[in-house]
Amino acid sequence: MRSNHGLAATLIVLSLTVAGCAEVQRAGEDIARQSGNPRLAGAIHGVGNVVGSLFPIGYEEESSIGQAMALQVVARYGGVVDQPELVRYVNLVGRAVANTSDRPDIPYRVAILEHESINAFAAPAGYIFVTRGLLKQIRNEAELAAVLGHEIAHVSQKHILDVIQRSKRLAGVSEAGLSYATSNPAAFKSVIDGAVKKLLDEGLDQDKETEADTVGEVFATRVGYDAEAYVGLLTRLRDLKGDDRALFKTHPNFSARIEAVQKTIQGKHLAATGVVLQERFARMTKRI
Amino acid sequence: MTPPRLLRVLLIALWIGLFVWGTEAWAETVYVQAKTAQLRAGKTSLDAVVGNVKFGDALEVVGRDGSWIEVKTTSGAKGWIFANKTSSSKPSGTNDTLAKLGQSMRGSDASATTASAGARGLDKASEGYANRAGVSARDRDAVDRMTAYQIPDQEVEEFLREGGLGEYAK
Repeated sequence: MRSNHGLAATLIVLSLTVAGCAEVQRAGEDIARQSGNPRLAGAIHGVGNVVGSLFPIGYEEESSIGQAMALQVVARYGGVVDQPELVRYVNLVGRAVANTSDRPDIPYRVAILEHESINAFAAPAGYIFVTRGLLKQIRNEAELAAVLGHEIAHVSQKHILDVIQRSKRLAGVSEAGLSYATSNPAAFKSVIDGAVKKLLDEGLDQDKETEADTVGEVFATRVGYDAEAYVGLLTRLRDLKGDDRALFKTHPNFSARIEAVQKTIQGKHLAATGVVLQERFARMTKRI
Repeated sequence: MTPPRLLRVLLIALWIGLFVWGTEAWAETVYVQAKTAQLRAGKTSLDAVVGNVKFGDALEVVGRDGSWIEVKTTSGAKGWIFANKTSSSKPSGTNDTLAKLGQSMRGSDASATTASAGARGLDKASEGYANRAGVSARDRDAVDRMTAYQIPDQEVEEFLREGGLGEYAK
């Protein structure tokens, strides 16, 4: 009888692997336990964990990861700018671009980091950051839209989540889902710290940055902003910073980025609409 | 029913079937590629709004003119939509079906990780992280306010209108 139960449980776990069904997994665990085989029940549970960890991270989990990463970004970059009108303006531009992005169905929020370096970041679940230093380099709304489009593309293409899912560190967390965040906060912290290090220090893979440039350019032009605006900003930044990889280890060099964006403009026939909204940008950012 | 009459009925049924199938097969479909979009009575942003559609809705294409597409919704309502708010392929967006299945298989309790989704306040996971990482009260408050920050869709629409963006392009 016991062997029959064991066989039934084994068959169930096999069907679980094929069908990926959580209910079947739990039924298999129950039968194995009832048949007095806790080791088999544990094995079935383990298979469920492993199979489960292969599934994508859902929005609720993404939101927890994004919020925790946002805490670290804000802490390392000296806090956020507290100028309500300016914050509202960058959020309006961000929302305008995000609303017709490939992932408009999640909330996006933009914060300005109190930092003079020239940079921008995106954490999962729509947490977007631009530094005060970068805003000072931007000359019009179309350039800002392109920068935010780049960051929104990182979120819509789930670049950081891909990194996290691939990392061995997350393996420990995936096995038990994000309930680890409360039951094993050290493991959760390790995952977040690893992701923040990748985002702020090491940089994403170059192909992900190039994808964010090209996809973000499409997002910004969908709203009607001039397609050439981003090329203008990248060119000025190259003139300012050069193509020194030591300075820009987190992104491909500017010449390569400009070339990729220009190819996208030509390949997708993105329009130079002439809509850059320089005056509105100047009016809204005069106190930056 | 005599055989010739039966044959005639079958042929008519086949013809009707082919006609219906052909109409369906040739009808072009686009999908709403925007959080929300408005259907208008005409092909300008000045025309009256006759309906609202949302991200992922399927629309049958009736006609095209420049930056606008005349469409019919599944409920039969007709109107014009700004072409940049549509996509020829069904957008995936945030499809959590697979993620929820995986979460279920891992036996994780998502509700334990999120105090109250959408409400003001850091979730439990982030709060625990902030404690362990020594994040200051000022920075916690900044992320808390950032999370809660919302701008109504109407204000975004007004922003686009003022800037002559999207369907309000001059």
